[in-house]
Amino acid sequence: MAVKYENAIKLPGDLSPRSKWLRDYYFEGLNRKWNNEYTAYTTGTPWDLQFDEMTYYIVPENHTFLSTFGSTFRQLAQVVPMPDGFWDKSLVERKADFLKEVMVNQVPMEIIPGDLLCGARFNVFTSMCLTEAEQKERDRLVKEARKSMKWIFQHGYGNGGATSGHLVPGYQKIVDHGFKAEYERYEAMYNELSEADKNGQHGAQLRAMMTSCTIPKELSEKFSMYCKQCADKVDDPVRKEELLKMAENTAKVPWNGATNFWEAVQSLWMTHMLVMSDENYPGPGVSFGRIDQYLYPYYKKSIEDGMSEDFMKDILGCMWFHCNSAYDGYIKVGGNQGITAGYGQLLTISGMGKDGQDMTNDLTYLILDVIDDWSPILEPKPNVRLHKGSPEKLLDKVVDMISKSQGAPFLLNFDERSMAGMLREARFYGDLINEDNVCEYAPVGCLENTMVGNDRSGTVDNNINLLKAMELVYGNGKDMEPYEDIMGGKPTKLTQDGPKTGELKDLDTWEKFFDAYKKQTEYLIKKFVDNYELSEAIRAKYNPTPYLSCLVGGCAEKGLDVTQGGAEIGFVTMEGVTFASTVDSLLAVKYLVYDKKECTLEELVQALYDNWEGHDVLQAKAKNRAPKYGRDDDEADELAREVMEFWSDETWKYETKSTHRRFRPGMLSWNYWVGGSYVMKASANGRANPQFLSNAICPSNGADINGPTSNANSVGKALGGKVDGNGDWTEYVNYLPNGASHTITFNTSLIRDPTHKEKFKSFLHGYIENGGTALQINILDPDVLREAQAHPQDYRHLLVRITGYNAYFVSIGRELQDEIIARESHMGY
Amino acid sequence: MSTEDGPGLRTTVFLKGCPLACTWCHNPESIEPRSHVEWKGVLCMGCGICAKVCPKHGITFDEDGVHTADFCEACGTCTRECPTQALELKGVNYTVDDLYATVIKDRAFWGKDGGITMSGGEATLQWEDVLAFFKKCKADGVHTALDTCGFNRRDVYEQLLPYTDIFLYDLKLFDDAEHVKYTGQSNKIIFENFEWLAGTDARIWVRTPIIPGATDTDENIKGLAGIVRDRVEKWELCSFNNLCVDKYERLGKEWDFKGKGLIAKARMEELTALAQASGSPIAFWSGATALEN
Repeated sequence: MAVKYENAIKLPGDLSPRSKWLRDYYFEGLNRKWNNEYTAYTTGTPWDLQFDEMTYYIVPENHTFLSTFGSTFRQLAQVVPMPDGFWDKSLVERKADFLKEVMVNQVPMEIIPGDLLCGARFNVFTSMCLTEAEQKERDRLVKEARKSMKWIFQHGYGNGGATSGHLVPGYQKIVDHGFKAEYERYEAMYNELSEADKNGQHGAQLRAMMTSCTIPKELSEKFSMYCKQCADKVDDPVRKEELLKMAENTAKVPWNGATNFWEAVQSLWMTHMLVMSDENYPGPGVSFGRIDQYLYPYYKKSIEDGMSEDFMKDILGCMWFHCNSAYDGYIKVGGNQGITAGYGQLLTISGMGKDGQDMTNDLTYLILDVIDDWSPILEPKPNVRLHKGSPEKLLDKVVDMISKSQGAPFLLNFDERSMAGMLREARFYGDLINEDNVCEYAPVGCLENTMVGNDRSGTVDNNINLLKAMELVYGNGKDMEPYEDIMGGKPTKLTQDGPKTGELKDLDTWEKFFDAYKKQTEYLIKKFVDNYELSEAIRAKYNPTPYLSCLVGGCAEKGLDVTQGGAEIGFVTMEGVTFASTVDSLLAVKYLVYDKKECTLEELVQALYDNWEGHDVLQAKAKNRAPKYGRDDDEADELAREVMEFWSDETWKYETKSTHRRFRPGMLSWNYWVGGSYVMKASANGRANPQFLSNAICPSNGADINGPTSNANSVGKALGGKVDGNGDWTEYVNYLPNGASHTITFNTSLIRDPTHKEKFKSFLHGYIENGGTALQINILDPDVLREAQAHPQDYRHLLVRITGYNAYFVSIGRELQDEIIARESHMGY
Repeated sequence: MSTEDGPGLRTTVFLKGCPLACTWCHNPESIEPRSHVEWKGVLCMGCGICAKVCPKHGITFDEDGVHTADFCEACGTCTRECPTQALELKGVNYTVDDLYATVIKDRAFWGKDGGITMSGGEATLQWEDVLAFFKKCKADGVHTALDTCGFNRRDVYEQLLPYTDIFLYDLKLFDDAEHVKYTGQSNKIIFENFEWLAGTDARIWVRTPIIPGATDTDENIKGLAGIVRDRVEKWELCSFNNLCVDKYERLGKEWDFKGKGLIAKARMEELTALAQASGSPIAFWSGATALEN
């Protein structure tokens, strides 16, 4: 029987010739004439460095190459001569001057054929602009930071480091008023400063920010001239007119406010692109925010002026192209799409307004069309905000798009639960987040909720393996086994890292065990706080980003760079990884050792040391008989909630010393739950090493045997559920202001026709009521089914549905499974 | 979460016990009214604990798997001790209140159309409890659906009618002798109840399983079309599927339709057209059909 998998893969939609050309050109990858590969620039001093390794501390795949990257870019760097007096200036001014010289005069000026937007190359590595003494001191401090970071990673604690991006810059103020307004504001503030302040840090910061404001101005003006030159050389009258219009656009924005849709998108793109240049990092969660809201007035104006929606889709299509070119950075290393798929230039559409009204508009639908037509593609990553008042038309469109894709082409964000979290963190920053403005929140990166234009909350900077606390309990504060360096092969000695919480034999009640777990969790969090301080303090002292600071409210007023805690709202997020593995392990210990007395704690821990080998029956009981989070079992979910409340309360206690940023909890976990599964020993929930750990707030793989409604109910309860009249937002509670990543896989047959799409909408309505902050939907694909055949234990929740009858996929015979796989491939119902 | 048991997203409760014994039954474990123990080979690790703990020594364990004896009373000892849950107790006792507390947790997901479906087996065998349960639902504004084979006393349906928002009513075979042959019972009561129910203002969806060699004849569909006509909201011809063959193996039973393939799509379309032409324009078909290369 021939199976045509390609039929099951979504194809791009009906793109215009221009958009189709750009999309195809992008996927030509290395064969392209043009690309956005990194170029590096130096002041020419022998000690100069471009590559900031700290921003890669959270990417363990890179740990081995940190020194290599550093020296590679140093060797590649072109010397940029700087004028006299450069070294007499403050560091932040040197940085602004250097970036300006690079972006305006060094980076090649190009326009992609058919492109409607100016600004193409932005992947640069720029000099740190440090004096010899500064660079030496920084290098010394970085060595310490690297050592600490490596230690917590190698010992299975997770990873952490001060990382770029992950915020929504104040794009709206630039689109509306231009950099000119910012420049004038800083100038006025500067003139108000005392002489002492002018000569001090505040003055230097403002001068650097004024210089930064002129970078997009001068770069755009150069583009304007370049467009005119190009127009002269073009015969096609249509293209000629486009280039002339682009020359007009760039003469105006982003220095001035935009007056129509084309200008607004040009202003947005140029402003956005330069953030990535300033930070020397492509697309690291630098997110657009509620793009359908702040671009709407320009959309309306251009519609009135007679611009067609098709042309607007092309303008947005050009932006889609450029966002994806972020991946060109390492294009020669990783083929067509570079080394990673993990950037997150997130845009947000729809959602609630100030009085609870829905904010969906015509531009929302236009953007959804562009998303649909361009997908599958990696950037920008769209996020659709849903709430109780979301219109049926929007839900229909969303469900329709989900039904056509294997993985939904966007993430769904849920306003009520998300806003509850934002109001929970509001207490730390006066009245900056309140009931009236909380609806303006937007996610960054993947799903991390922040406020917009004045908030940097370090949403990927700390990834804490909650399960490690269990290992430390088993080892009475020591690792279960000494760490061995795979590369060097040198074993180390076990050390008393965590507190002594008791010998196993002394933990003779559940209360004592749970208390020991809590004490080790306290230690774990403190360890992360201390580790983070090292890289945060270095960044604050040596790595200012004055251009980005212009787009973050608070920096100019405080005279502090965004890297120094200049943002009005500045949290550092602790992202909890392996939540369900931890909760299920606690549940298993409670069930096996204390409630059912199936074994002693020593016996259970021995089984973990043996990776469950020779303990089949105990492992089976841990897996199948012990309660699990994710089944809408109130007792299990209550422990999940307790664990959540405990670790999040502990997180709130800390603040960075160097920048005064408060720690806040979230659950993102990127791909760490996969890598971590190799580092972690077997766990009490029946998991052997190296089976995967649980992902973010999701139940453990295979644990949610009661279906998606129970799964969603459990997630909502773990986040705090609902409390009548006493929630954070209306009745909703949310312990995790950052939000929590939740993925559910559905069968394609569930949304096969209009009737079933309606049913799926009911599920989404239910999720708004009871679920978490964000949901990623996967529509089942035959490969998953094959995986389920091979590993039935991990897929016990997988429901197969054929009209009038349902069955758990793993409980039916092989031949029927094969038949269903063939059917899934055909969508042949 | 059920998408196939009535309008909207629903939560379905399967009650054990059925007065019919359709040879094609897809839920054979639900025919028997008493609880029983079921073994799922794919989950079994072969530890043999079940055989050791059975108080009646009624479990044998060999290369074919686990076998429970005929005298098994489903006491639940083995299913409690089985480390992998390969042994499962089918049929758990609930009070009406406990059951309600369990299903109502899904309420947020039901939307404006969905709710609870009572299915089986034959739910009306336990009609007093279903009635009490439905009364509780209606007092709380929950939408109720009753999936029934129609084989019960008229007064049972009369009492349930005010609390049932929709009936999912099965009509299988028009010819009474055939009906007896395949289900073990006459269709007389079923048709009489249907006539009565169709005359009330009840909302009804009729379902007919299309089983190869049994219900898939022209005569049968024509005959049923004459009964259904356009008196109900929907008439669904459900294409036979063979997903339950493993269930029969697990129960240690031979299934009459084991070797049967799925019906061709063209045949389902033909039968639907025939039903429509024979006086029931509301007929449509659903389900899986044979793969075409």
